[in-house]
Amino acid sequence: MARTKGYPEPLEKKLRDTRLYEEDTNPQFTKTVEKISMTIPHMCYQCGTCTASCPSAPRSSYRIRKFVRRALLGLEEEALTDPDLWLCTTCYSCTDRCPRDIAPTDVIMAMRNLAFKRDIIPVNFLKTVQAIYTTGHGVPNNDVNRAARKKLGLHPEPPTTHRFAQYIKGIQYILDYFELKKNADRIVKEREG
Amino acid sequence: MREYAFFLGCIAPNRYPGAEAASYKTAERLGIKLLDLEGASCCPAPGAFGSIDLNVWYAMAARNLVLAEQMKKDIALICNGCYKSIWEVNHKLKHNKELRDGVNEVLKGIDMEFKGTIDVWHLAELFYDPNIVGVDKIRDSVKVPLTGTRIAVHYGCHLMKPRKERHFGTTEHPTWLEEMVAALGAEPVEYRNKMLCCGAGGGVRGYDLVHSLDITNEKMINLREAGVDALTEVCPFCQLQFDRGQIEMEEKFGVKYNLPVLHYCELLGLAQGMTPQELALDLHAISCEPFLKKVL
Repeated sequence: MARTKGYPEPLEKKLRDTRLYEEDTNPQFTKTVEKISMTIPHMCYQCGTCTASCPSAPRSSYRIRKFVRRALLGLEEEALTDPDLWLCTTCYSCTDRCPRDIAPTDVIMAMRNLAFKRDIIPVNFLKTVQAIYTTGHGVPNNDVNRAARKKLGLHPEPPTTHRFAQYIKGIQYILDYFELKKNADRIVKEREG
Repeated sequence: MREYAFFLGCIAPNRYPGAEAASYKTAERLGIKLLDLEGASCCPAPGAFGSIDLNVWYAMAARNLVLAEQMKKDIALICNGCYKSIWEVNHKLKHNKELRDGVNEVLKGIDMEFKGTIDVWHLAELFYDPNIVGVDKIRDSVKVPLTGTRIAVHYGCHLMKPRKERHFGTTEHPTWLEEMVAALGAEPVEYRNKMLCCGAGGGVRGYDLVHSLDITNEKMINLREAGVDALTEVCPFCQLQFDRGQIEMEEKFGVKYNLPVLHYCELLGLAQGMTPQELALDLHAISCEPFLKKVL
């Protein structure tokens, strides 16, 4: 399953050089990641139990241990621009097995949050936001399903925002509060025209 | 009769309505009444929303929690992804004042306040808990024992992990769902690496379908080696990944397994005498017929 991963060129070059340069490190990055993730990547001693537990590791170049190291050393660029950041299935196996009580999964989530602030995000994540903004559901109802529900003796629309659309206002308020819909629309438009 | 606000999520009501129908009926037979949670939304998807902005995830999940608080009922749900959002945000907001204040600042705008007055449960854990239902009562409710069938269990990730935050004990080799399968008269089957993720979570299914299916394929190979008649799980998203995933794996990898995949509530429904029509099993991408022939 190993495939080429198409790093951005500067990063590709960077990764071939394994030395650590002070100018690449941003101590603030470590602190921000720790604040968002509520976990302690600076305690990592790089044993690799996380990578060994990871379902994505055997089939890609994604190495969770590397990301925890980047968090620890403040290697912000390397962490946020690496496309492998999005290959974590958030299964939490690494978290359950970490001998240092770190939650590497939550380190990844924090880095993804920070990447999004720089518009680095796969489009599929944003499409879920758009669907929820309109319907309240990430996976909305459809006609085949409505017919099946009727046959089962269920109301064709579940008693969620689907049947009670007046509740969608509240959802839109929350998403607008964080300007999430606006940003999602903008980024999807930039990528897909 | 114990009453719970039933948090539906997205995939059960909108893709596998049979799992929803089965939940009402099976739970009622076991002394649990599931009430409509009016106006609930997506949990929201922990992979997608958690990755974008955790603060939005907290606030959106809190809105769903407040709806149940207003009903003064604990939440019951049937999806591991929903459990991750609803259980975990409830837990975090109850124990972290700074977070709670931040969320309530947002909710103020829609006249809501998170108070932390309810608990959240997966229906499967309520079924297993001897103080609420228990395996014995499940066994007693069976009308059509699934005798002679070999069934494997997929626990999924977000119900029991991270272990230290949850309350399910070991996540390396749990057996409580197997006990619940055995109670239906079926033979629970162990298989290699059963705690492996289905591959769908964290937004990976949408980001890189082939990568995600490759994980699923590993599970399918292990299941085939064990020789099973069906796979059962407690998460409609895992169900989607295993069920529709088999069609996608055939397209992408040219492999064919034809393994029926049923939510535990659907399986329990069958054992309690519900018909395949009452469970809308025809909506499954992979036909459940070979399994049903052995049972009915």
